[in-house]
Amino acid sequence: MILLCLAGIWLAGFGLMRWMFPQPLRWSLHNILLFSLAIGAGAGFASCIYFLALLLAGPSLAVLASATGAFVLIAVLAGFLGPGQGPAFEVADGPQVPRYLVVVFAAAAALALVMFLGAVAYNPHGDEAAWSIFDLRARFLFRAGAAWRIAFSHDLAWSHLDYPLLVPSLVALCWKLAGGESTAAPVAIAFLFGLGTMGVSIATLAILRGKLQALLGGTLLLGTASFVALAASLYADVPLSFYIVSALALICLQDRYPENGRFSVLAGLMAGFAAWARNEGLIFVAVLLIARAFALARSPRRAAIFPELRRLVVGAVAPLAVVLAFKTRVAPPSEYFSVPASVLLHHLADIGRWVTLIEGLVIALFTFGRFLIPIALVLALYAYLVRFRPESLGRDSRDRASLVTIAAALSLTLGVQLLIDLLYDANLPLEIGTSGERIIMQLWPAAVLAFFAAANSPQLENLKPAARKAKARAQAGKTPASKTQTAKAPGR
Amino acid sequence: MLIAIALVSSFWFLLDVLGVATQRAPAFRVADFENRFATFPKTDPHTLYGYVSDNPPNDPSALAEFHLTQYVLAPAIVTPSANQDLVVMNYHSKQLDYKVLRASRLNLIRDFGNGVALGRPLNRR
Repeated sequence: MILLCLAGIWLAGFGLMRWMFPQPLRWSLHNILLFSLAIGAGAGFASCIYFLALLLAGPSLAVLASATGAFVLIAVLAGFLGPGQGPAFEVADGPQVPRYLVVVFAAAAALALVMFLGAVAYNPHGDEAAWSIFDLRARFLFRAGAAWRIAFSHDLAWSHLDYPLLVPSLVALCWKLAGGESTAAPVAIAFLFGLGTMGVSIATLAILRGKLQALLGGTLLLGTASFVALAASLYADVPLSFYIVSALALICLQDRYPENGRFSVLAGLMAGFAAWARNEGLIFVAVLLIARAFALARSPRRAAIFPELRRLVVGAVAPLAVVLAFKTRVAPPSEYFSVPASVLLHHLADIGRWVTLIEGLVIALFTFGRFLIPIALVLALYAYLVRFRPESLGRDSRDRASLVTIAAALSLTLGVQLLIDLLYDANLPLEIGTSGERIIMQLWPAAVLAFFAAANSPQLENLKPAARKAKARAQAGKTPASKTQTAKAPGR
Repeated sequence: MLIAIALVSSFWFLLDVLGVATQRAPAFRVADFENRFATFPKTDPHTLYGYVSDNPPNDPSALAEFHLTQYVLAPAIVTPSANQDLVVMNYHSKQLDYKVLRASRLNLIRDFGNGVALGRPLNRR
């Protein structure tokens, strides 16, 4: 029943995505992207509906089932009966993909799946910080009935009562509709968000740069053991990373389809859901607006700044209203508000804390992901070998604004989070040591997306004699760059 | 090289996960802890329990076990003190050690076995 409930939510999300970007139902890159985005869209709406129903009508199963059922029905009808034509997302032209790379990608996917299943089979309640915060809140919401506000009792202050409720609400909704508790709900939600994150990243890379870059980026993401482990730990970090990468992927697509403003509205919606997933998402919403304005101001599309920011805000406003209702009507004031300004100033002026922070950041950058070799060094070497595409970074490039947006949004989000740690955390070394990698993992899928969207495609196959001649001719004749990616790339 | 590192790293981590999973389970995982409380009465959201345990003060698992107790007994609230009308006792010996009861100034209401008991402060009826 829990899986059926999640399938309904996913289908509703797909209906909404299809309503925005309609194309025929068939196996296609377009529908893979929509199915991936649908996971977060459906989950976000369903979670908000659960919370609002609880807030306005109490824990009535009839109200909750009616509201959720109406959402699913309307979304599915809109998606499948609604008229309209939208852009069709196709795989971009790119170099030939060697068969072994497809095999390696499939192996990485299989390994990630086995890792996830192994980890959740061993520990179906997730890590302590997951069950003692998110699942504990879900248990209170589900078990306490009309007294559900007891979940925010000051006696439970140790479980971070101001954390937003996307995951706990979704878990409690599944339990309520299924009529009983099961670890299947948080595990399936974690799996779907992990799957959605991979799907959005890989599909967007395929649209922007073609199959080869998509497979390379996808293999790297699937091979990031920490990311899979984080998903299996059942934290809200992977849902947050899903919403961050989705919002930024949609910004990339907005630049590819500037005439269709729906991408920005949907990007705003995803950013709003990020704020409903974790408090860090609130930082991301603010940072996304700043980064987008900054990127557009430095691009030829300067006139699009205000229309696009308006669309982002329109998209984000509904989830942000739910976050506001939660923060003002349910959650106690954040623990951050109780820290006196004198302590903040003392922390800011403490050189030792800055050293600890920078030291912790450098260590995290070189150790994150549980790669056998620091992946930052490997990516630096890779970038040196293949180089970034001048056509993606050039001032008049159609991708420049979106890549600048991603770079600015990720840097600012990381910077603000670290600044908050510096200012507020009493035990900074412990905080950086335990959460440094987690913070980087929230941003990692979007960073991989940006990296492979900007990097040249490597030459992975030996060119046949005829192709070699064509390459020589192309170089001599200065054929347009997009047609000679294989030839231009310095290769290995 | 990039994909080889990603693949080998994830395989390495998989071995790590399998290694941990095939070892003996630690004393208190969530499911084990829930089994210990299987005979504990059903809780309601209006009940406030105190909590004491025989964990040494610096035992790193003490806090985790307190959190587990709260997780299992939700929607009742559990506070880490013996100063409530009802106090949950979490002990690790085969039988309840009455020294722990006396040290916490508690009367035993019921010992549920499996290291779980319910008590009441001596100064309360």
